[in-house]
Order: sequence, then C-alpha cells, then structure tokens
Amino acid sequence: MKFRAIFKHLPVSLLYLILLTPIPLYFYWGVLNQLGPDPLRFLEHKYGELGLVFLLITLSISPLLRYAKINLMKFRRCVGLVAFYYVISHICVYFFLDIGLSMDLLLSDLQKRYYIIAGFFAFITLIPLALTSNNFSLRKLNIRTWNKIHSFVYVAIILSIFHFILMSKTWTGELYFYISVTVIILALKLKRTKIYKKLSTYSNADISK
Amino acid sequence: MSNRVVNIIGPHNLKSLKYSDVTPQNLYINRRKFVEAVCLTSLASLATPLSAKQNYSTIAKPNTFEEITNYNNFYEFGTSKTDPAKYANNLTTNPWEVTFEGISQNKKIFDIAEILKGKAIQERVYRLRCVEGWSMVIPWIGFPLRDLINQFELNNNTKYVAFDTVYRPDEMIGQKRAILDWPYREGLTIEEALHPLTFIATGLYGKDLPNQNGAPFRLVVPWKYGFKSIKSIAKISFMEKQPYTTWSAENPREYGFYSNVNPNVDHPRWSQATERVIGEGLFGERRKTELFNGYIDEVADLYKGMDLKKYY
Repeated sequence: MKFRAIFKHLPVSLLYLILLTPIPLYFYWGVLNQLGPDPLRFLEHKYGELGLVFLLITLSISPLLRYAKINLMKFRRCVGLVAFYYVISHICVYFFLDIGLSMDLLLSDLQKRYYIIAGFFAFITLIPLALTSNNFSLRKLNIRTWNKIHSFVYVAIILSIFHFILMSKTWTGELYFYISVTVIILALKLKRTKIYKKLSTYSNADISK
Repeated sequence: MSNRVVNIIGPHNLKSLKYSDVTPQNLYINRRKFVEAVCLTSLASLATPLSAKQNYSTIAKPNTFEEITNYNNFYEFGTSKTDPAKYANNLTTNPWEVTFEGISQNKKIFDIAEILKGKAIQERVYRLRCVEGWSMVIPWIGFPLRDLINQFELNNNTKYVAFDTVYRPDEMIGQKRAILDWPYREGLTIEEALHPLTFIATGLYGKDLPNQNGAPFRLVVPWKYGFKSIKSIAKISFMEKQPYTTWSAENPREYGFYSNVNPNVDHPRWSQATERVIGEGLFGERRKTELFNGYIDEVADLYKGMDLKKYY
C-alpha cells in the first residue's frame, strides 16, 4: 500500500518540518494582515486549536496500534512535541500580543478567569513531558517513572478541553467534536488502568457468585 | 450608491439623504480629520459639541466595509465570525413584514416599505462594543427608533419593547440546531427605546444593509453590548412586563437584561476593562473600554440611582 510506504519511509525530521511550518506561516500572514478583520484572535485560536489537535493525535497513536494495528509509534514523540510548540506559540500570542505583556492583566486573569487557569495548568503539566521527551531522559530515568510522568498527558488533555469549554459562549459543533474524541481516547485508556481491571474482576466475581 | 438606497425608501426620500450616500468613505474620514483639527484650535468649545452632538456620530475612524461585513456574530447563520458572510445571502429580505403588538391601531402588520415611507434617513457613525471584548466603528444609515414608535398609539401600561428576529430554519442554517432558543429575542425599556441615540439601521456606508449585518431592518443601541442590537427584526411588541431576552435566558449570570457597556462590571469569565480594536492589526493596542461605550453624557440619566453592578 502506497500510503503505508510513505509513512514507513518518512523521516521524522521531515515530519517536524511539515507540522511546524504553519506556526511561522500563520504569523507571517498575520503580520501582512491577511487573517481577516481580527488577526490576533485568529492566530491565538488557530495555534491553540492546532495544539489541541496534535495532542489528540499523539494520544490516538497508542490506541491505533492496539485496536487498529496501525503503527505510528515512530512519530509519537514528534507529534507530541509539535503539540507543545503550538501551545507555546498560543501562549506567546496571548502574552505578547493579546494582553500586551501586562503582568497586571496576567495575574488578574490567573485569579479570576477559570478558562485561563485551566489552560495555564494544562501548559504547566506539559512542561515536564516535553523536558523528558529525549533519549537522554529515557536512558536516565526508570521506565516506570518515565511512564508515570508521561501519563500526565491525560491530565493535560482534560484541562485543555475544560479550557476550551469554559471560553466558549455556546455549545458549538467543533466543541462537541473535540469533546467526543477526548472521551473516546480517555475511555480506551481507562479500560487499561489497574483500577478499572480490579473493579471489573470484582464485579465479575460478584456475578459468578 | 444613491440608486441602491432609492430601492428601499422610495425616490421622494432621497432629498433627506444628503451626505452619506454621495460621500465616499475616504472623503468623510478626511472631513473628520478636519473637524478634529478645528477642535484643536480655539474654536474647540464651539465646534465639538455642535459637530459631535448634532447627529450623535462619533468622530472615530469607521472600520472598512470589508471588516464590518466579514466579522459578524449572527448565530442564525453559524457560530463562526465568517459564517454570516458565507450563508446570509440565503435569507429573503424582500418582501419583509414587521408585526407590531401592544398598539391600539387595528393594522398590526406593516411592509418594510410602509415603515420607511416618510422617514428621514440619516447617518450615524456609532461605536459597537461586543460583549466578547472587541470593538468597531460603523457608519449606519437609518432612523431613530422613536420616529417609528411615535407613529403608534401604545397601550397605556407600556414599559418595555420586545424585538424578535425571524425564524426561518430553511434560510438560516444556524437555526437548524438549538444553539440558542430560537427565534432570537431582545428587549429595551420604553425609555431606552425612545432615546434619540436608539436607532433602526437599514444600511451602512450609504448602501442597503448586507444580510450578514441584519438586513433589512435592525436595531442599533450603541451604549449596550452588541448582542442587544437585534438583527433582521420581524416583530416589535410593546409590553408591560420585562420581555424574554435570548442571551440572558441562555445564561442569566453572564448576560443581564440591561447589558450596558461597563468596564467596571466584568463578564464572569473575562474582563470588560479593555477591548481589542478591529482593524488595528496584529500589533494593535487595546483600547480602554468606556462606561456606556462613551455615550455617558447622553444616556447616564436613564440609569440615575441604579446599581449598575446589580442591573448589569
């Protein structure tokens, strides 16, 4: 299959290049005032939305392998880091352009605005993941510790979705879409957690009695 | 341009339409610069109040026609700002009837042409401040709402005016889903409705109102958040009780009946202290939001003694 061959031979470095190109490109269009009447909000939302999309793609790679036998493991780190770079770009637009470097506004937002608080903690949660996403950390850290750190990505996705819900005025179609994808990914993950397995063995035991 | 205006108001009204229909945007922006320059001289005390107040227009630079017609909140056509420009052309605005309730006249249904007959069409350059935290300046044309209300004999106990947008899910694709409780409804107190600033817009930039801006007939209340200025009005009711209003029913904690622009009363989820000025580009500075969107001299009396934090 051609498609599969493309993926097999696609160098990861090229994927980085492809996935990260929209960041400077959108910014360039923004500077040229080609992003519509409200370029700031466009850029801020675009970076944020793409960050969410890449985070969800990162999270689907393991269920894709398990349930659909599609192996994209080679790209998981790349897509995860790309998501992180979009999140950083999103925050840069907010901090440098939207609130204009105002610490007062930042602090009052962080005290009062639930969607900013949720988004802020989603970002904080992602930092240790990004920092330990290199081979050096993989070698240095115990694999169980590393896995534990990286399971925080599920906390980040929940916080990100809350960030999105809390800033919306109404329940839009895209909001429903992202919530559904997140719920599916979380449900598949939950099925594999120890707590769920224990609970299900208990309930099975109850039934067999 | 003038030909297009004739289409909606009839030829005999053209006389009253002197300035906006024939003056291209760049010209009257220059004129405003001239007015500003005059204000800086010793004539300031004389020129400012006369030029600014006579027609209630702001001297701020209007947004471009492109910006005004491609950045709209009109959920009847979708929740994205660009959806209305894409889908609003499906709305039939001719013929258009408006139903009036709470009046003692027997005739309650009027065609838009009947409403516009004899109305002096004028231009009002108003600030628009959206509850989402952005703002524009729009050169509307139309007439004060009170010119219309004064035609009717209202029921004695009239305290409020309610407005309904049309409900046509076949033409308004956003209405196919219950994003809001359709049809969109808004309301004002009768004092607010009779205020000379309260305006019915039938066009902008001297042209017929584009559908995405609420054709053929919309409300403009410049000192309130934009969502109060209901678009494509199909019904106007005069009533005793405070009417149902869509956004305050959707989320009463976040959107009040009054919804006056007020930098000191935050939306529960975001600050209202400043606003992003549409058209200023990526590096534009935020503007400090003004109480009543800068129309404090004109409207403060309406809310004398009222706790604006409680009646938000």
